[in-house]
Amino acid sequence: MKLDWKTIGIKDLASLICRKLNDNEIDAVLVGGACVSIYTKNKYLSYDLDFVSHTSVKDISIVLSDSGFRREGTRHFMHRDCPFYIEFVAPPLSIGSEPVRLRRKIKSRFGELVLLTPTDSVKDRLAAFYHWNDLQALEQAVLVAKAQKVSFREIKRWSDNEGHAEKYRIFRATFKK
Amino acid sequence: MLEGLLGNPVIEKIFFTLLMYGEDYPLGMAKTFGEPVNRFQQQLRRLEDSGIIVSRLVGNVRLYTFNPRYPFLKELKALIAKAYEFIPDDEKDKYYKKRRRPRRAGKPL
Repeated sequence: MKLDWKTIGIKDLASLICRKLNDNEIDAVLVGGACVSIYTKNKYLSYDLDFVSHTSVKDISIVLSDSGFRREGTRHFMHRDCPFYIEFVAPPLSIGSEPVRLRRKIKSRFGELVLLTPTDSVKDRLAAFYHWNDLQALEQAVLVAKAQKVSFREIKRWSDNEGHAEKYRIFRATFKK
Repeated sequence: MLEGLLGNPVIEKIFFTLLMYGEDYPLGMAKTFGEPVNRFQQQLRRLEDSGIIVSRLVGNVRLYTFNPRYPFLKELKALIAKAYEFIPDDEKDKYYKKRRRPRRAGKPL
């Protein structure tokens, strides 16, 4: 399949990376803003693809170099022709103080992508809002919640556990606007 | 104190500093402990790379804090706080109880 690195979309690229890693028995889950892009059909467009993997970055580097991705810094990869930036965030896969137990799998023409569920994607964005008052992250959480079916009950439970019941109310109010 | 566990004396100092002051910058830590700044920079980068701490630029200064999204933060802080109790008082006074409240610009003392 012909691949144009300059115009490849975020979902196709994430699927491609995920499949290449899986072909080499490397587990990787897409997290962060890229999940928001995928779940909202690019209403918010991220140029960062953040993955969490338990495999060493050194081993990942060997696999990604076959596709022309060069390691920059300790955990980042770039491709000469591709506008996206790939990072392997330090494990474990967690949101706040809780481990992530569920995964969503999405198929594209480039392979199968493993990513956070929409509910966990909302929690992931809310974590940034809760801890750093990042209003962009709040907007992204709302975008995902509007575009996908999410469990508000679970998000509320998690928010209470994280000690951010008050900010959860802000999220709900913003969602209802 | 926790050096054997952490494998590095500088990391212990960084942890106590962040626990007591909330945030700090590499040169500030280096001055406090009278050690070369690169020792702190190296370990701060390592901790940031592992997701344990995060940093942000304020002007030209890179400020480090614990990463509130680190999943074991509560437990890690509890361990550091426990270890802190065993630090001799004179050492606490010298390194971990420095003035941090605001001082108006231009005030002589």
